[in-house]
Amino acid sequence: MNKPTGLVFFPAFDWAISPTHPEREERLLYTRDQIFEEGILDLPEIVEYKPRLATVRDVARIHTCVPTVAKQTTEAHLVAAGGALVLADALMKGEIRNGFALVRPPGHHAMRMVHGNRGFCNINNEAIMVQYLRQKYGVKRIAIVDTDVHHGDGTQEIFWHDPDVLFISFHQDGRTLYPGTGFINEMGGPRAYGSTINIPLPPETGDDGLLYVLDNLILPIIREFQPDLIVNSAGQDNHYTDPLANMQITAQGYALLNKLLKPHLAVLEGGYAVESALPYVNLGIILAMAGLDFSHVVEPDNDPDRLEQKLEITEYISNVVNRLQADWRNREKLADRQLSPGQEFYERNKSIFYDTDYIQEEQLERLRICDHCPGYFSIETKAGGNGAKNSALAITVPIQACERCQREAHQLYREAKARREVDYIYLQENVDDLYQVFDCHKGIESIQE
Amino acid sequence: MMKIGIDVGGTYTDAVLLDGSRLVEWAKTPTQPDNLLASLTGALDQILQVKGAGGITRVTISTTIITNLVVEEKYEPVALILIPGPGYNPKAWRLAPETRIIKGAVDFRGKIIQEIIQDEVLTVIKDLADKGFSKLAVVGKFSIRNPILEERVREIILGRYPDWEVELGHTTAGHLNFPRRAATTVLTAATKAKYARFVRQVEDAVRERKISAPIYVLKADGGTVPLGKSVHHPVDTIFSGPAASVLGALAMTGEQETGVVVDMGGTTTDLALILAGQPLVASQGAPIGHYKTQVRAFAVTSVALGGDSGLRVEDGQLKLDSRRYGPAACLGGPGPTPTDAFRVLALTDIGDLSLARGSMAELGAGLGLTPEEAAEEVAQLVTSRMVEVIEEMFRVWQEEPAYRLWEILHKAVERPRNIIGVGGAAVIVDRVAKAMGCTGFLPLHGRVANAVGAALAQPSVVVTLRADSQRGFYNIEEEGIQLPLPEGRDFKLADGVKLAEEWLKKRGQALGVEVALEEREVVRQEVFNLVRGHGTVGRIIDIIIQTPWKIEGLLEQQTMAAGRGGENHE
Repeated sequence: MNKPTGLVFFPAFDWAISPTHPEREERLLYTRDQIFEEGILDLPEIVEYKPRLATVRDVARIHTCVPTVAKQTTEAHLVAAGGALVLADALMKGEIRNGFALVRPPGHHAMRMVHGNRGFCNINNEAIMVQYLRQKYGVKRIAIVDTDVHHGDGTQEIFWHDPDVLFISFHQDGRTLYPGTGFINEMGGPRAYGSTINIPLPPETGDDGLLYVLDNLILPIIREFQPDLIVNSAGQDNHYTDPLANMQITAQGYALLNKLLKPHLAVLEGGYAVESALPYVNLGIILAMAGLDFSHVVEPDNDPDRLEQKLEITEYISNVVNRLQADWRNREKLADRQLSPGQEFYERNKSIFYDTDYIQEEQLERLRICDHCPGYFSIETKAGGNGAKNSALAITVPIQACERCQREAHQLYREAKARREVDYIYLQENVDDLYQVFDCHKGIESIQE
Repeated sequence: MMKIGIDVGGTYTDAVLLDGSRLVEWAKTPTQPDNLLASLTGALDQILQVKGAGGITRVTISTTIITNLVVEEKYEPVALILIPGPGYNPKAWRLAPETRIIKGAVDFRGKIIQEIIQDEVLTVIKDLADKGFSKLAVVGKFSIRNPILEERVREIILGRYPDWEVELGHTTAGHLNFPRRAATTVLTAATKAKYARFVRQVEDAVRERKISAPIYVLKADGGTVPLGKSVHHPVDTIFSGPAASVLGALAMTGEQETGVVVDMGGTTTDLALILAGQPLVASQGAPIGHYKTQVRAFAVTSVALGGDSGLRVEDGQLKLDSRRYGPAACLGGPGPTPTDAFRVLALTDIGDLSLARGSMAELGAGLGLTPEEAAEEVAQLVTSRMVEVIEEMFRVWQEEPAYRLWEILHKAVERPRNIIGVGGAAVIVDRVAKAMGCTGFLPLHGRVANAVGAALAQPSVVVTLRADSQRGFYNIEEEGIQLPLPEGRDFKLADGVKLAEEWLKKRGQALGVEVALEEREVVRQEVFNLVRGHGTVGRIIDIIIQTPWKIEGLLEQQTMAAGRGGENHE
């Protein structure tokens, strides 16, 4: 028999952002009811795993939590991230053919630097899992497809400069929905141009539009990228009943998407139609991943006539796809335009708002332009509002870093420690798998593990 | 207080007579597979021989009748009508040879999302009638959240065929799991008549012997139910044998810690976990034959390894067969068995030593070992296999999925401390215990542990309540009913617990059990705020409440001293 599909189901029935927040206990209640009542956990095609707590090191590999991982995460966050890691282990040990972490709270709006909660997310479950796969198992190339209705801005930001992580997000157009980003021209940093692909879709996009984008854009790009693993950042709020968005995707659409995409690992993201969508969409995804018959997973109020995609939407989507196909073909030319000859550093300023916690953060990001590796980078950050008043400098040595970049990054860290101009200084050393923090006020250095 | 316990097992029928907590009489007779009633009365008559039937206050039976009926497929044909609604393709399940799928659907909150179509039902049952069916199981997805569709189908069926037997899914109780509910309902429909006949015969047989005491039957979850009431849920009595042996082991050892009960038979060994003095209940219902049911049962692992398992040498390696070729060589059987090894090692005095030695010599020849060395090799192999299975049981228990943060953070890491041997396990317990760094216990009357367990078992009552204050309904899963909530939208957790308590008492009365509410245990309580738009519109409250699991006291002369060769863990 084929290997089974692994499932981690962690609905966190005792955790909520606040009692009436969309990210609350009730969110996966009916999903649980539906999955249990279907009896599919008795099938040999599905095996359930128990989540574990992600460690501080698991988180520190990808995030700089200011001041510490412990201050920015609750146990629920660590179990949600740990659930994804359990499946990553099961996959790499060859126990499962693929796996779905049905966990909450979600994570795809969490960026590399974490001062608080934004878009219901504190830490990025997929990014933590992806980095774990690379560092523990040496997986080289990974494609993440973000199928949430909201732009996966956190995941995009984390892998912006990484040419080995292909990040593709389709979502409702940022002009009409949170977080207001994810436009066609966002294609990655100068040394990773084209490893970020954004597909903004118009409101009322239906299953036809989704499958068109998949067949004509997402799958061809993935084939060309040749990833070792595919991850589905599985939001479910493109559903036609979602209260926070305006799309027309059905459970069948989501199931078909997974059947065609064949993700090795899927991690639940958003989706707040707790009753009308989630039970059916989650069931559809599980069945599709396990290779089981999902043709009968149809929402009770599904009216195919009403959900048929309008002609003008179809045309609009085809234009978006044409434009992105062209940009993808020309990516090398477009990448060249990002830098001037001999440029040593690439800088960008970022202004980030944490909508849940009302924190405003200003960042200066500096990437070392290197001919031998993607280059190390640093983020200078200052956060204000709602109790957060921290400044920090975080230096990241990516896993592919060359020796010179590694040496320079360490030098930068030492100099910053001597100057003590910010509250905290971090060295995120992905080559050595070592995560250091220096508290400038106390003058104490510690290792995050 | 004179109590009788009878366990009609697959191989032996045990009976005991207890005076309070003292074992007065006991009997062990071979079970006649074709006549369970005769097996039962035979053992009963033996223990009544000396003292007679005077003063007996209770008779409790544990039996394998349902297991036998199902495994040997000695039941009448049942057709299954499913009302699945949306979800996994219902045709993919193989739940009954004759399954029909009809329209109609209920969702997770008990809302009817598609009605039954009368003409469709009539067409289906006409066809089933033509095929000669008159027993039906009708099972809907989420019927425990709203049984109305199942009831409508029954009305339509009985309107046309008033004498048909129709079993409805929601009445077989159990939790969310539609295919298991269907399997349990089919088995209930299939076995109800035969089981009822068996119950009448047992009642008659007991009354003929001038015993007027109430008769109970043991369920797979270690609780008892009055024999007369058990006819409604016959499949609850499957697996009561292993439950009886666990209860017996607890009664004889007073186990308060974490341990394993090992019950070794001829062809299989049953292993059960005790966690801090409480038998572990399986997270899923018990399997029976190829059916996965919703029957609440102790978590018992059966290993195809017993005293009569075959032994052979393959490529210079000693191998254990899961098959039984016959009795042990020392009892005139065809080849070497673990029992022969234990005989040679003087761990048992069963059968003929020279025959046992001969079989070990034969085995040893292929291994280049003396008979004694070969026997030692066999004992080690059996021991390591047992240890493997026990470790795996603990691993599975530790790895059981958890859905609340609290469970993930607080699940204790338990290790077994005691290994308790009953049945034929005496020969191996000390070795297993030693290998695991545990203490071995051999209860004095371990041979009749099952009957002792049955005699001391107590009734148990469970209530699973879900209240939905927005919809204004609540369900009691065990009753398969839905009723309006008394207090509308302001229904809070405390109201839910009170309501569950009322039902615990009510269900207790129906089962002839006095429920002491101060002892009740809340197994689960969860509140979900229902938020629509910007406000809270109600709550969903889940509560599971039960009477504490217990046995009626410990058997006197509880244990043979611990540690015959076993090391004390402390």
